[in-house]
Amino acid sequence: MDATSQESFLEFVRNRSTALLRTAVLLSGGDRHAGEDLLQNALIKAAGRWHRIDEPEAYVRQILYRQQISRWRLKGRRRELTVAEPPDPGTDTRTASGTDPTGAAELRLVMRDALSRLTARQRAVLVLRYFEDLPEADVARLLGCSVGTVRSTTHRSLARLRVLAPELAQLETPAADAGQQQPPSRDFVPVEVRP
Amino acid sequence: MNVEELVRAALREQAADTVPAPGDFAGRVLTGRRRRTRRTVSGVAAATVLVVAVAVGVPVALNSADSSPALASAASDGKTLARPDQSPPRDLIAAGGQALAAYYTSRKVKQPNRDEIVTRTYSLLDQKTGTYEVDARWAYVDIAPGMRTAAVLERQLPVKRIGVLDLRTGEVTRWIPVRDTKGGVGAVDFSPDGRSLVATTYGKNPDRHFWSNRAEINDGDKTRSEPRPVYSRTGFSLIDFKTGQQSWNEVPPFRMPGKERDIGAGEMVRFNTNGTLAYETIHGESGPIFRDLGGKVVMPPLTERPISPVMAPAGLSPNGRLVAGPGGLPATATEVVDPTTGKRTRLKVQELLAWADDKRLIAWDIAPGGDKSASRLVLITIGSDKVVPLSGARSPEDYSPGRWEPIFAKR
Repeated sequence: MDATSQESFLEFVRNRSTALLRTAVLLSGGDRHAGEDLLQNALIKAAGRWHRIDEPEAYVRQILYRQQISRWRLKGRRRELTVAEPPDPGTDTRTASGTDPTGAAELRLVMRDALSRLTARQRAVLVLRYFEDLPEADVARLLGCSVGTVRSTTHRSLARLRVLAPELAQLETPAADAGQQQPPSRDFVPVEVRP
Repeated sequence: MNVEELVRAALREQAADTVPAPGDFAGRVLTGRRRRTRRTVSGVAAATVLVVAVAVGVPVALNSADSSPALASAASDGKTLARPDQSPPRDLIAAGGQALAAYYTSRKVKQPNRDEIVTRTYSLLDQKTGTYEVDARWAYVDIAPGMRTAAVLERQLPVKRIGVLDLRTGEVTRWIPVRDTKGGVGAVDFSPDGRSLVATTYGKNPDRHFWSNRAEINDGDKTRSEPRPVYSRTGFSLIDFKTGQQSWNEVPPFRMPGKERDIGAGEMVRFNTNGTLAYETIHGESGPIFRDLGGKVVMPPLTERPISPVMAPAGLSPNGRLVAGPGGLPATATEVVDPTTGKRTRLKVQELLAWADDKRLIAWDIAPGGDKSASRLVLITIGSDKVVPLSGARSPEDYSPGRWEPIFAKR
């Protein structure tokens, strides 16, 4: 990497690392350290071809997603998440009405815990669909799979969440199939790369 | 609200809770990249050698009985490697069964709220080259006997996982999550056989000095305020290094009866000489407190019964017959004691750091013409006043780049 590329790379990392870290931590199921590792590896890969990348953020995000999935594929599910304070389900009177802020906050904690117990691929699809708000076609392009796979993985992931967190049963049944919903916005444009 | 909306809300909340990336993140990425590039280059070089060797019929296998790379610390097993011109050391220092596995320097980093964090910078032995290389990633490091691996803690103590660092590659090979504790880990210590770790857990960063806990210091005619640590130890975890199995014992900070503040010890828990007990050193009049591995206070073993309030780091000799002490700088003489007979043998060095073998110790000693605090590493033989200098003299000034602290390990 020449001096100009290095300066531009460092500036990118300084400006965008916190936003990218948020995504990396979500992909890692809330594990901050694993998220930092994931992002660091993605950035190292990107640094290797920095001068050839047109849209760095999209490129790094794509590496993040694909790397997380392939890492899981290679290593299996051996990693165990450290949770500082595991939520204690079933010991209180939480509600899902949305009018009880305490109950809603606790449900979100239950959801976080359940998300951390999904497979990396399931979690990646949910992060892309519901955090990045990407349409299914873009998710499929980013992960290198078909739209049908994205749809079925989303469906199975949500079903798995309901199994992992029985508390979610009290929520309303979704009005429409997850695959039919159109996300409101998206904040980056995916590009074709092969990390 | 349905499940999809809750997923969205939970993800956004979790993202909002994520603390910003560390300030040195860009530097870490570049350091990681340089390491990887170096490895790739050496991989290509090795492949080239193999191809050439096969082409000319050289029996490569005869030169590599062990598939793992040779360790720099093992290549000169038993020999004394002295670097009297180096401070801090650049090349491997060793004597007998011990080697300088790493060293660190400390500095106080001021925080915007007037707190200070004592920040250590470690230089670890690169087992490929036999030189010490700065590895700024870690807040705490302990080296396993044999010097193949280190247990490392990341910055921003206390942490929830312990890294296993391969000293041959500089890479973390796995992480051991620390579970079921109050707080996180702030320090680790390997057992003498390297199979277990004792990890001391804290509620707050043990390296942080809090302005809210400041004390008045007499500084000549004036008094000034200085931030002080908050003793927040919660206990210690006993961890099987291979499997990660662990159990935690609650052990709050020691407090001298009747004293309100700042009598707590350095608080870190270590293994005793044979790894059957854990002990903590107490500042003040009493000696160390020994506990069984379940956390219960027990009588010190006869051979480790403190001969002074401050135990020397060297501890018991490899054959278990002599104990080193008392330590503490800037004394100009110390001794070794036979704990069964009480016989004392005087040694004219400052502090006994490690047993090279049953008759020789590595110690701090005053460098010729230097300040009492400007010590150098030496090798001394019991019964002799002669010393072999092992390093150059370090700076007498605390928290300066020239003031390095050694970490020894069995080689």
